[in-house]
Formats: sequence, structure tokens, C-alpha cells
Amino acid sequence: MKFATIRMLAGAMLMLALAMPIANAKIFRVNVVGDPAQMDPITLSEIVAGRILRNVYEGFTATTEDGRNAPALALSWEPLATGPGFRFHLRPGVKFHSGRPFGAKDVKYTMEELLRPGAKGGLGASHLGSITGAKAFKDGAAPTIEGIKIVDDLTIDIAFTKQDVLFPIYPIFFMDSGIVAELGADWMAKASAGTGPYKFRQWRRGVSVDLDANPTYWGGAPKIEGVSFLIVPNGDTALSQYDAGELDFVDVYAGSIRRVLRDDRYAKDLIRVPRAQAVYMGMNQNLYAPFKDIKVREAVSLSIDRQAMIRGLYGNAAFMLNGAVTPGMPGETIGLPAPKFDPARAKALLAEAGFPDGKGLPPIDIASTEASKDELTYYADQLKRVLGMPVSVKVVERATFIRGMNAGEVAFFPWGWTMDYPDAATYLQDMWYSTSPYNRPRWKNIEYDALIDAALITADDSKRFALYHKAEKILVDDFGMVPLPITASVGLRKPNVRNVTLTPFGFSTFDRIEID
Amino acid sequence: MRQLLRQRGGVIGLVIVVLVLAVALFGPLLAPQQFDATDLLNAWAPPDAINPLGTDKLGRDIASRLIVGAQVSLTVGLSVVLITLVVGVSAGMLAGFLGGAADRLIMGTVDIVLAFPEVVLAILLAAILGPGIATVIAALSLVWWPGIARLTRSLVLVQREEAYVQAAIVCGSTTAKILWRHILPNIAAPLLVRASVGIGFIIMAEATLSFLGLGVQEPVPSWGGMIRDGLPVLRSDPMLAVSSSVVIGLTIIGFNLLGDGLRDALDPRLRGR
Amino acid sequence: MLAFILRRIASLIPVLAVALLVTFAAIHALPGDPVQVMLSDHSADKEMAARLRAEYGLDRPLPAQFVAYLGEIASGRFGLSFRYVHQPVADVLRDGLAISPLLAVAALAMALLIGIPAGVYAAIRRNRWQDTLLILLLVAGLSIPNFAVATFLVYALSVKLAALPVAGWGTWRQAILPVLVLAIPAGAYLARLTRTFMLEVLGQDFIRTARAKGLGPRLVIWRHAFRNTLLPLATSAGVIFGGLLSHTVVVETIFNIPGLGRLAIDSIFARDYPVAMAVVLLFVLFYAGINLLVDLFYLVIDPRVREGMGA
Repeated sequence: MKFATIRMLAGAMLMLALAMPIANAKIFRVNVVGDPAQMDPITLSEIVAGRILRNVYEGFTATTEDGRNAPALALSWEPLATGPGFRFHLRPGVKFHSGRPFGAKDVKYTMEELLRPGAKGGLGASHLGSITGAKAFKDGAAPTIEGIKIVDDLTIDIAFTKQDVLFPIYPIFFMDSGIVAELGADWMAKASAGTGPYKFRQWRRGVSVDLDANPTYWGGAPKIEGVSFLIVPNGDTALSQYDAGELDFVDVYAGSIRRVLRDDRYAKDLIRVPRAQAVYMGMNQNLYAPFKDIKVREAVSLSIDRQAMIRGLYGNAAFMLNGAVTPGMPGETIGLPAPKFDPARAKALLAEAGFPDGKGLPPIDIASTEASKDELTYYADQLKRVLGMPVSVKVVERATFIRGMNAGEVAFFPWGWTMDYPDAATYLQDMWYSTSPYNRPRWKNIEYDALIDAALITADDSKRFALYHKAEKILVDDFGMVPLPITASVGLRKPNVRNVTLTPFGFSTFDRIEID
Repeated sequence: MRQLLRQRGGVIGLVIVVLVLAVALFGPLLAPQQFDATDLLNAWAPPDAINPLGTDKLGRDIASRLIVGAQVSLTVGLSVVLITLVVGVSAGMLAGFLGGAADRLIMGTVDIVLAFPEVVLAILLAAILGPGIATVIAALSLVWWPGIARLTRSLVLVQREEAYVQAAIVCGSTTAKILWRHILPNIAAPLLVRASVGIGFIIMAEATLSFLGLGVQEPVPSWGGMIRDGLPVLRSDPMLAVSSSVVIGLTIIGFNLLGDGLRDALDPRLRGR
Repeated sequence: MLAFILRRIASLIPVLAVALLVTFAAIHALPGDPVQVMLSDHSADKEMAARLRAEYGLDRPLPAQFVAYLGEIASGRFGLSFRYVHQPVADVLRDGLAISPLLAVAALAMALLIGIPAGVYAAIRRNRWQDTLLILLLVAGLSIPNFAVATFLVYALSVKLAALPVAGWGTWRQAILPVLVLAIPAGAYLARLTRTFMLEVLGQDFIRTARAKGLGPRLVIWRHAFRNTLLPLATSAGVIFGGLLSHTVVVETIFNIPGLGRLAIDSIFARDYPVAMAVVLLFVLFYAGINLLVDLFYLVIDPRVREGMGA
């Protein structure tokens, strides 16, 4: 019986050995935290798939390393003469991974797929709402989207019901309109349908997503043979794999950052940038009456020692956020004063508001998800100590919590909003406009809304930015947005790897990577 | 007791268990600092006079949190053992003594619970109930009672055939009286051993749930949660993971040694070996 | 014998049926709405939420969903995963299906190879210092939680000595640490059992007779004594195998192995009902299979059981 067991073990070991991947020196290997939901540009709605697919698919524009918007599949665009909308001139000579040429028909096809009734357009779909006829198409009342007109192979007109000056920079990945006919509905398991520098090779669930270089890429063939996204949920594991030479670049997860920053071995490989994520303390005035008083809101803000958080909690892997817009974002207000830590003034303000030493304040939960439990614990302890505010910690399951916030049902919460597209409106409009569903604390100001309305029909950048600055001042002065420290994206890059980095907007694209 | 003291391992186990119990009972008096007081600028401080084992990532005193964590672990361990003993022993005795439909119903339920891998079932239950100490106790009790019920039933089946029980039945004693007065004292020893060994495993199960993020809520500390928090920084700040691993390891070793000693002491067949 | 197997399988059916119902109820009782998980940060899009709810049939009453799920089981697809968009659960599971049983089998083999000799040795040296030392080691092996053991092993073997890969899955070297972590408590448990059984057997008359007949100690121990511990050991090995299988959940999480155990945790956290259902049910099936095997083993090894079964 023992002998049989040994044979079984030997068989098992052999099976494992056969599954061994082939090593290759010119593959760029980087970690991602989990499996992508799907390798599909239409249903795309989460970060891991987004990170992979932006090397496979492209949109009208691409975000550069310094946060500008550069033309990609659109060479240029101009306003329509007939009303709100744009005419896009597409880049000639671009080929999909299948070899078919990219053109206006593919733009139309992609937008229809995103809005197709019964299908499940992901994030891309949410940017198409202002196209004329989008709603009729989505409801199944019209066979095509009225506002999208092909002029010729490389020219397309898109008309809107109301002007949307940010349309060219929305992240919409265009896909090959001929792919389904060629490979069937489950094409994404076999190939990719993009124009980007890399094409899909394989997805080994729980192990890796592997891409091959696209030798016919319009921007020039990559200098490496491929990219491998290794699926590594545990940050400590990822670091050890980097140490062992199993990763060329490691995206360091929050839990391991401190270890990286304190280890001198890593100093020369280190990359540290602020995330494009606006972090704030949400205070819903409808749900907790004391928050109606601006003095109470200011007192809460003054009680938080942000510098101590940056140094102690985040081990210096964090940055001050002074306003509602993250550093480097087009449209940010330069030179806003940093929020202060002043316990004495906080106490005084709370007393002026009628709650000396917290007396008379009803008990309140400060809520968030498991990922923020350390921050929650600190805020609760700090508010209790400085203000005498009766705060308890409440950790909620993530989906339940987000649904609650979106429904305006959470009174007191620290949360962050990650940018969707590179313009300050991604925060100022989506997070703080009174009717936006993502205005989670339900802060409301009529003057602010009017300024944002005006900005969103102003195509000229500097004029639009001036309106943003006025609006942001109202928001911050009212302690609607109480900024909290933003954490850093931290990465480590092997010295033999060049032309890839982390930016506030995520990874730079991988098209120019070199490995020595 | 005298038998127990003859076992070297059992004595060591007893000493450890008594120590842990004392720490848990008198925790607030012993803790050098307040267990939930944060001090961010003093995060991950190395051991010194104020923080004998250093501090965690919020600058909280690790030693104090270990002491309060002992209360949590023992509360969970003892509650689960108590609950599962009451439920499992009653169910097992009824099933074994009554037989028939009651037996089929009870053992059918036991079979269904035992059909699930215990870790998976505990995770599922903890996820349904949401984090918290009551959840941990409920989830682990549900996973644990069927084993006790099965053991009790097999013990009762043996006792039922004994002359004293048959005599009691003939004399017209009520079922409750027979079970309580006659059978229970005769099956108590193996159950006691099982319970003692069980506490160690339950403490480990609680730590596993906390390790997976399904345990007690912040700011209340749990040893498993402390190990989880300490693992990512093992290289730079090993105190948290190491001290909590040592404490939980020692505690479970203590309960296991005590259980072994009890078994050897209570099992006449092993006596004198 | 065949009749026995069939009868055992038949007796499993009601348990499995109730387990199916219980699992379905439990998974649907998880707090948190899977549609909200799918939409994540952008869950305020009510239209999309309604669309997804209809697509996955989550807008129907629970009994109707249960009936639909039975149909999905019959079709072999086990439904569509929520997290892996548009993919049948069967496809999601296929890659990782063999991993957890493979880990458990390898760990059991390692545990047997270490545990049995250690147990026999301790029994032979009982109450001497070797025995005491071994017992302390065994209790420690049983007592330190596997995530703590894993950390120390990774730290020592992978980080400090760089002898083994840290994590991942694909080469046999990556399987060593997880198997070891699984095998340590199992081996310790087996060794303790072996010691106890051996002590019991060694005290019996036929061993004394064998010794009196002048048989060599090695022959007495292995041929006569150890042989008689096989049956109880086999039963325990079945139980241990079940435990190992269930602990792959923790080990796969630590070592980042894409097996069923990690899928169980991930799908429960992600509220991926169909995948969670299928994984939990698979674990239940594995358990049932193990118990069946143990019973069959009895049948083969112990003629008394075989005879008793006819009655």
C-alpha cells in the first residue's frame, strides 16, 4: 500500500513538472492582483482587465506619462457645423491584430456593441449617453445609433444631444468589427481584436495572462517578445518573486510598501508617485444633523493629523491632497493650502457649534470596507480623543457598502474616487455635482453646479480650467470635500528594464519597453 | 488529578493553560498600555520599556494586544466547547438512547454537516453572518457539535447494553433520569478529553478565520489577525508576527498536552504505561 | 461487494441532495448583492444593474432560481460565472480541478512517509528521552497554525536560502513548500496515532509469544505489530485526507495556488454564486468519495467486515 502511494506521488510530481512554463529572457513580467474578469473591451469594467487591455486596445486618444492627452487612433477632430458633436479624422494605415484595416466602421461597431440592448457594456458605455439616439438604440427602439455617421473609411461624425467637450478623451477601446464573423462569439478566448502593441496569447486562470508583441504595430514594433501579467494576490509573495528574479517589475501592494521603503536594497529600483485617486472624508448632512454646521465639519478636518498618517501609517508612501483634484491632473488648482491639524482650534469650533467636548453629539459609526480598517481605527480613536465624538468603527462588505454610499445611506465614511479620464471633471463633475449618483455624501451647492455646467461646454482648456478653479474653491471652503492623504503607487523596476514606469494614472504603456 | 500530575506532558500543559487563563482573566490589570490607543508617529516601534514587544502599524502596544487577544481566543474556545458539549452531548445521548426516528433525524443532520469540509463551512457561515466575535462562535459551534454528537452516541450505545442501564429501564426510570444520572457520569471522561483537546483546535480555527479576514472586528485584537497583519512586514518588523505566532503556538501546545495528559490519566488501559 | 458499493452510494444520495439545498440557501444568504459586486464603484447605474440581474436570472424568486440551477447541473455547465464574465462555471473550474486533490494526495504521502516511521520509533523507545522529545515535536507540529509555519518556512527556505520558489504554481519545486506545510500537522497526527496503536499492539499476548519464540525485534515490530495497526491507520488516513483537502483553502491562499480552495474563498468573497456553489459541492463530493474509499478499504483488508455485510 505504501508503495502504491509513492507511485501516486511520483505521478503527481511528474504531472506538475510537465506543466512547467518555458522561460524566456525577453518577456516583460509584471504582477497583477487577481484574474481579469474577462479579456473583452466591451464588458471591461475593472482595474486588472483595464491594465492588461490598454496594451492590446486603443481609443481616440491615449494618456501620456505626464498626464496629457495625445492623439492615438484619431489624428484630429473638430466640432460639427450642424450642432453639438465632433468629426473625427482617423489614423490611416492602422491594422488590427487579425490583419484587417482599422476604419470608421469599427468605431461605429464598437459604440453599437457597447450600447447594444441585452449586451452588457461596461465602463465604456457610460460615456456614450450624450450621443444623439443612444437612448433609443439602447432601448431597442432604433436599429442604429442616429448620431453616428460614417463619412468615409477614415472619417466619422458623432453628434450629441448636448455638448460634451471631453468626449475625445474618454477611454473607449475600439475593436475589430470582423472578429465575431471570423472566430465566433467566444473569440476572446482565442485572440484579441485590437490595434495595440501587444496581442493576446493565453490566459491561464489564476496563473498569468500572456501577450505577444504585435510586429505590425503602427507606433513601431515592441523591442521585446511579449508581456506576462502574473496573477499574484499577495503583496509579500510578489516582492519575494521580484527578489528571486521571477518578476521584472513589481507593483507593490499597500501592505508591503513599508517593507520596500525601509529596505535599502530596493532604493535604486524604487518608483513612487501619487495615485490619481481623490480621497476624502464623506459627511452626509442629511443623515447626521451636526454635520449641517460647517464648524463641525471643519472641526473633524482639523482633528486629523495627516502628516502623522503619511509618516506613520503609510511609511512616507503617501502625499498630501489639498483640494478635490489630484496632483498632475489637467485642471488642478495649483497652490491650494494644505489642510491643517489643529486640535485646540477643533475643540473650540466644536464648542462654538454647541457640543463642548463632544457633549450632545449622538453616537455615529465611521464606516468603510476591510481594506480601510486601519484608517477607520485611527479616525475613530483620534476623533474620540480630540473631540470627544462618540465614534465606533464599522467594517462593511464591499459591495453592500458601495451600494449604500451610492444610495446616500452612509453618514460618515472615508473613501476615494479613482479617475476615469484625465480631466479634473472626473472628480469635480462625477463626485460633487449635486445630481451625480456618485456624490456619495450628497453635498449640494447651486453656484457650484452652475460653474461645472459652464465648464463642460467650454472646449478651450484654459478657460475651462479657470471655471474648475472657482468651483473647487467653493467646494473646499465649505468643507464639502475634506481631503485626506492619497497613497502612493509604489513600484520596483529591475535595473535592466527601461522605458516603463508608474504614473499617477497607472502604468505607462508597454510599447517601448527594453530589457537588456 | 493525581494521575494527571504523573504525566510530565500533562503537567507542562496544565501550567501553560493556567498561565494563559490567568493572563486572560487579569488582562486589564497586566496590560502595560491601553490596547486600542493609536499613536501613528510611534508605529512599528521596536521593543522598549514602554512597549515591551514594540508597537503595530497604528502604534498600538503589541504586548497589551496579545493579552487582550488571549481573552478573545479563550472566550471563543471556551464558549464553543461549552455550546458544542451541551448541544452535541444532548443530541448524541438522545440519538443513541432512543434510537429509531430520533436517531435517524439527529444522525442525518450530523451526516449533512459532516459532509462539508469544516474550513469551507466555517468560512461560508462567517461570511453570511458578517465579522464579529459572535459570528466566530456561531460558525465554529456549528462545525464542531456533530463530532461530539457522534462520539456521545457511540459511547451511549455501549452503555445502553450494560446491566445497570437495563435495570434502570426495567425499574421504570424516566429517560431523562437515566441519561442524566446513570449514563452521563459513565461517559464523561472521554468527552472531557475530547473537549480539552478541542479547545486547542478551536483556538486555531478562530485564528484561521481571523487570518482569512473573517474574525473579530477592529479595534479588538485577535491572535490570528495579528499574525496576518504581521506577515507582510516580517522582514522589517518581525515582532508582531513572531510574538503572536509564539503565543498562539504555546497556548495550543498547552491545551493539547493537557488533553493528552487527561486522556492518559483517565484511560485505565494506558495507566502505568 | 458490488451490492455493498451500490448500497453505500445510494445512502449518499439523500445527504448530497440536502447538502445541495443547504449550499444553495447558504450562498444566497450571503450579505451583498452580486450585481453590485459586478458593477463595483459604478453601481449607481440602475439600468445596467437591472440588465445584469435579468441576464443572470437573479430577478426571479429563489425556488425558480434553484430549479434553473438544477437544470444547469444537468447540462454540466453549472451556470455562468458572475466574476469571469460570460464563462461557464465548468470552464472556470477545469484549470484548478486537479490541484487541490493533488496537493492533498502528495501531502498525505509525505505525512505517511514521515509520520509512520516516527510513530513506530517513538513506540519502541517509549518513555525514553527520544520518545519524550518526539512527542514534544509532534505536539508542536500539530499546534502551530499552518499559516505561521508557512511564514517561517518561506522566510527560511525561500527568502534567506533562496532554495525554493516563494509561491505560484507550474513547477514541481513550487509544490514542495505547500505540500510540506500541509504535511507537517498531518504527519504529526499520524505519528501520534501510530505510536498509540503500536503501544496497544505491543502489549498484547501474540507479540509476547512471537518474542518468546525468539523472533528478531525487527521482524516482530514490522511483520507482527505494525501490520495490526494498518486497519485503524487506514481509517485515520481517510479522515486526515479530508482534513488536508479542506486545509488546501488556507495553503492555496498563502502560496497563491490557483486550486479549488482559493477559488472557494475568492468566489465567496466576490459573491460569485455559481462558482461558489460548484466549489462547495465539489468539496462535498470529494468528502463522500473519500469515505466510500475508506469503507472499501475495510472490505478488502478485514474479512470480518466482509462477512458481516452479508447479514
